[in-house]
Amino acid sequence: MTTPALQDGHRPTGAARWIGKSVQRSEDRRLVTGRGQYVDDLNLPGMVHAHFVRSSVARGTITNLDVAEARELPGVLAVFTAAEINSPDHVFWQTMMGPDASYPPGRVLADGDVRYVGEPVAVIVAESRYLAEDAAELVELDIDPLAPVLDMVAALSEESDVVHPERPSNLSGEARADIPGLDERLDQAPHTFTETFRQHRYLCVPMETRGIVSTWDPWQEKLEITLSCQSVHETRLFYARMLGIPEIDIHVVMGDVGGSFGQKMFPEKEEHAVVIASRLIGGRPVKWIEDRAENLISGGHSREECLTMTVAVDDDGVLLAAKGHQIEDVGAFPRPGDGMAGGSALAMFPGPYRWSGPGSVGYLAQGAFTNTCGRTAYRGPWMMETTAREQMVDVVARKLGIDPLEMRRRNIISVADMPFTTPMQLQFDTVSPAETLEQAAELIGYDEFRKQQEKARTDGRLLGIGLSTYVEPQFGFGILATEATTVRIEPSGKVNVYTSTGSHGQSLETTLAQIVADELGVAFDDVRIIQGDSARTPYGAGTGGSRSGAIASGAAHAAAATMREKVLAIGAHLLEASVDDVEMSDGVISVRGVAGAAVPLAQVAAVAYLNTDAMPPGVTPGLEVSERYKAPLFMFSNATHAVTVEVDRATGQVEILRYVVSEDCGNMINPMVVEGQIAGGVVQAVGGVFYEHLVYDEDGNPTATTFMDYLLPTATEAPDLEYGHVITPSNTPGGYKGLGEGGAICAPAALLNAVRDALAPLGVSISEQPLSPDRVLRLINDAQASSRWR
Amino acid sequence: MSPTKIDVELVVNGQPRRATVEARKTLADTLREDLGLTGTHLACEHGVCGACTVLVDGAAVRSCLMFAVQAAQSTVTTVEGLSSSAGDLSPVQRAFRECHGLQCGFCTPGFIVSVTAFLEENPDPTDEEIRAGISGNLCRCTGYQGIVRAVKRAAELRAPEDSEGVTA
Amino acid sequence: MKPAPFEYFAPQTVDECLSLLAEYGEDAKVLAGGQSLVPMLALRLANPEQLLDINGIGELSGVRRENGSLVLGATTRHVTLERDPEIASAVPLLARVAPHIGHFQIRNRGTIGGSLAHADPAAELPGVARLLDAELDVDGPRGHRRIPVADFFETVFTTTLEADELLTGIRIPLWDPRAGFAVEQVTRRHGDFALVGAMAAVEVSDGRVTRAALCLTGVDAVPVRREEMEQSLIGATAADLDLPGLGAQAVADLSPSNDVHASSAYRKQVGAHLASRALAHAIHEATRGVK
Repeated sequence: MTTPALQDGHRPTGAARWIGKSVQRSEDRRLVTGRGQYVDDLNLPGMVHAHFVRSSVARGTITNLDVAEARELPGVLAVFTAAEINSPDHVFWQTMMGPDASYPPGRVLADGDVRYVGEPVAVIVAESRYLAEDAAELVELDIDPLAPVLDMVAALSEESDVVHPERPSNLSGEARADIPGLDERLDQAPHTFTETFRQHRYLCVPMETRGIVSTWDPWQEKLEITLSCQSVHETRLFYARMLGIPEIDIHVVMGDVGGSFGQKMFPEKEEHAVVIASRLIGGRPVKWIEDRAENLISGGHSREECLTMTVAVDDDGVLLAAKGHQIEDVGAFPRPGDGMAGGSALAMFPGPYRWSGPGSVGYLAQGAFTNTCGRTAYRGPWMMETTAREQMVDVVARKLGIDPLEMRRRNIISVADMPFTTPMQLQFDTVSPAETLEQAAELIGYDEFRKQQEKARTDGRLLGIGLSTYVEPQFGFGILATEATTVRIEPSGKVNVYTSTGSHGQSLETTLAQIVADELGVAFDDVRIIQGDSARTPYGAGTGGSRSGAIASGAAHAAAATMREKVLAIGAHLLEASVDDVEMSDGVISVRGVAGAAVPLAQVAAVAYLNTDAMPPGVTPGLEVSERYKAPLFMFSNATHAVTVEVDRATGQVEILRYVVSEDCGNMINPMVVEGQIAGGVVQAVGGVFYEHLVYDEDGNPTATTFMDYLLPTATEAPDLEYGHVITPSNTPGGYKGLGEGGAICAPAALLNAVRDALAPLGVSISEQPLSPDRVLRLINDAQASSRWR
Repeated sequence: MSPTKIDVELVVNGQPRRATVEARKTLADTLREDLGLTGTHLACEHGVCGACTVLVDGAAVRSCLMFAVQAAQSTVTTVEGLSSSAGDLSPVQRAFRECHGLQCGFCTPGFIVSVTAFLEENPDPTDEEIRAGISGNLCRCTGYQGIVRAVKRAAELRAPEDSEGVTA
Repeated sequence: MKPAPFEYFAPQTVDECLSLLAEYGEDAKVLAGGQSLVPMLALRLANPEQLLDINGIGELSGVRRENGSLVLGATTRHVTLERDPEIASAVPLLARVAPHIGHFQIRNRGTIGGSLAHADPAAELPGVARLLDAELDVDGPRGHRRIPVADFFETVFTTTLEADELLTGIRIPLWDPRAGFAVEQVTRRHGDFALVGAMAAVEVSDGRVTRAALCLTGVDAVPVRREEMEQSLIGATAADLDLPGLGAQAVADLSPSNDVHASSAYRKQVGAHLASRALAHAIHEATRGVK
């Protein structure tokens, strides 16, 4: 593992003792001792347990639903169906999208018909989960099946049956950048190529499934929710709207959350049903913990899409113009909004390449409803643009006889090109794609590998190298535009930081504390981060979309800096010195250069809260500062991935030899955390490309419904990652950029390109995933055994 | 007809404990609900992910695949039992923290118990042996990088002295 | 994902267990290691009314040599197969295949009897038993019988054990100490069930094959021995064998199933490759006399 050399970017006003260091995490002590508090760890007096009866048919009419016998089972408190749970007054829109966006029809439980296997039809509440599952077997559910809509391309044709009778077609939404004259431009170019890339359905699979505990206090008329989620405020706001309860009467807490990757960003049907059931029951906590089969079948699906790309190049491989047509399978009930990430894909489709100015790239993204589980965000939901574009670069390079690294060199933008306006009118200010490309190529020893590859080919061995390079956006619109931090210093001098984030593995309790400790001038161990509680923390969107490192840090810097000013003003007053002559370090305010002239922060706090007559004039008492930071509309980070593989031509198995990431996320708050985030995304990509596949059969039944069939990579399948860091600070406080999703966005294309490169001498064309041994062997068998590689 | 419950007596983390449970209640659920030891986590309940790993009579097992009644008269160690009574972290726990072997922490107890048992049998493992040894535990956040480093580091931390704070 | 209710028994002797089986028959299931059975209970794919936990029956544990065979009690755990030096010297193939069975947490509980009774066609131990002509000791109300392994595996997850019978032990005839063995498998991930596997055992004397056995797993509903081909190898010069040809021959008449993990064509093609590799390695080991 290479140790990055840190560049001095924007220094905090205090001494940088913590920022930039791989500080060990504050979270870890409780987590390694098993004292984390996840939602299933909540065991409250009177708690009861929910379990869902679900459709085992993808599309059909409910002809019989009889819960009478289930209701009679001893230990069952209630069995609710749409009759009790659903209401025409429910609204289902998410804050991020707004009420006017396109949404699938909203309903909590299935009502009269079912639209995907796993759709919840009834909810049972019993003394134990065991009993609730016993009761489920007593429910009679008969469904007359109809032919399901399962193919996203066919779904958009005129002849297709409609998934939602309330809608005229299966088009959930569209995003387009129509460029007049683009088709002519593509036709008239020296070389034009078209390829279609298909990506299969693979899933977030956090190790902790979804779960909720909901209690309705019928006397106070308050709702108390603990939820495995990414944002407590969104959850609160959502249920306030949905159920018509004042926000102040809903309290949402997220304890420790065992990963999410986007799946838990918005509450879904099951959470709604449990909340409503808890109101109907009143006075008892109702717990629902999704089991793994439910999580795989109906927890929210992702990644299934196709993208047809047409690209025009000149004889030297310079990219001139391109057009993309993307179709996303959004399932039956996607979220958020219409389930599409195509709008973001459109924005990022040109990637880190120059192209030929505005109007040189056009795009159309469409979402298709199908009778499958609804789409959810998964780490870089728009990543198909990179998966397709980066593979296309390699395909075109090969057709022109140019090395894929060289082809990228001829097109990629660098720091010297900043500011750069993309064909989609985005402005890049501080990205460094060329620099990461060169660093990755050097770290992996690209040229040396090509020599090894040549030699190996003469021995009949199939070695390959793949590159992928991209730009990752963080969005700052609507609810995502701001993050907030409140810093409150206790009378003891300890520092509490209340933040609008919702860390679920991102180490924010550590990284935000690093920022505040440095910005304020206190010891790291004296800073406590509090998040994930709607009653205690400032309003915000929670954690997701790679935003917390970049945006929440801005708020933390701002609040800490303001607090520092206040503390120094009080301290200077107590020390009878000028404010310009005092400084604070490790929680002690001292006069520069005067030995013994010092006061501890606790003394300042005592004055601010308890002995306010001693305050300096013009400074308000108390030590509590709130700042809300507004992020730019877009921020960008970038990286290049490089990977080498060997393909076993007898078994189709692919071994990853080396994996290199050159990452630029600006200044790094905590390099260890940065590398951990990259690693998690890359190994999820390894899982997606080689192992994971949520397969539906022709009747719309998901067939990989346990971990025996849905294969997650283990330590033996994960490569040993090597990192290089390029540091181009952002123009925001601290100079940080988000990066949490990048590993998952960039890696698949690199892996696919490596296998493509390994099989190139055989004339193999790769346009589908996963690259299971079966598929790879079939590709080898089917391909011509002639070499086209010069 | 109310279900028959069975009294189960066992030693957990050095303490004699008892629970009265249906035969079908798993050891994992019994530890979590009846004995208040929620450090052992459930992430699949069908014996693949390893999050529920505990030591039964010193051997690492998937507690979702055992019924509590089967553990009667056994000695069980959960993640809570690995730190010393003074709260000092065991070498494996320390190593996971030092090497960023966790992010969300949900799979972590299962790994720590598994690695504790693994290093007892194999105190000086090669990189390959480490990866094979931990392949029965799934993680989704770390990509295993920090975990592999943590196992190596734990082996170092264990080497000079007895494994204090580890109850087997 | 919680099991349905069942009545639980923990018989202490084989006779006790047999009485329970006689009483409950098909409604009861025997619980040994639980690594295959309990997931099925959790998923409610199996819903026995009685569960008979045989882990406490002392008679079912233990390993000994008897009349040229290694005799293993049915509840011998996989971890014992992996570590017991007696087993390693008597039947090296058991010790060699054991680390491939799942992961160490599974091996701490899983048993050889459970694995054989479960009869997963992709599993290692049924393949080893079939390769080495094991015999299964079975007790029941009609007395004791010894079932040759060729008559034991009926189809996927099905053996010729009657509902009121209990597998009590496995007898594995010993091979010459100079024999060579090999296991070749393709698994998606470390520790998974094999997509397809081949196991071979060979004795070579003066450069000629004097004994050979080849068994394929994951290619049919049961492990498949290739007895005709084995016979044809006797007397052949080990160094002159057309191994790729033998591999192709080993799968020629097979129609493996398709599933989410691999197609029939894959299993057949890779089965041939693994069969020839297994023979090659076994011969190499037998020729060098190296264990």
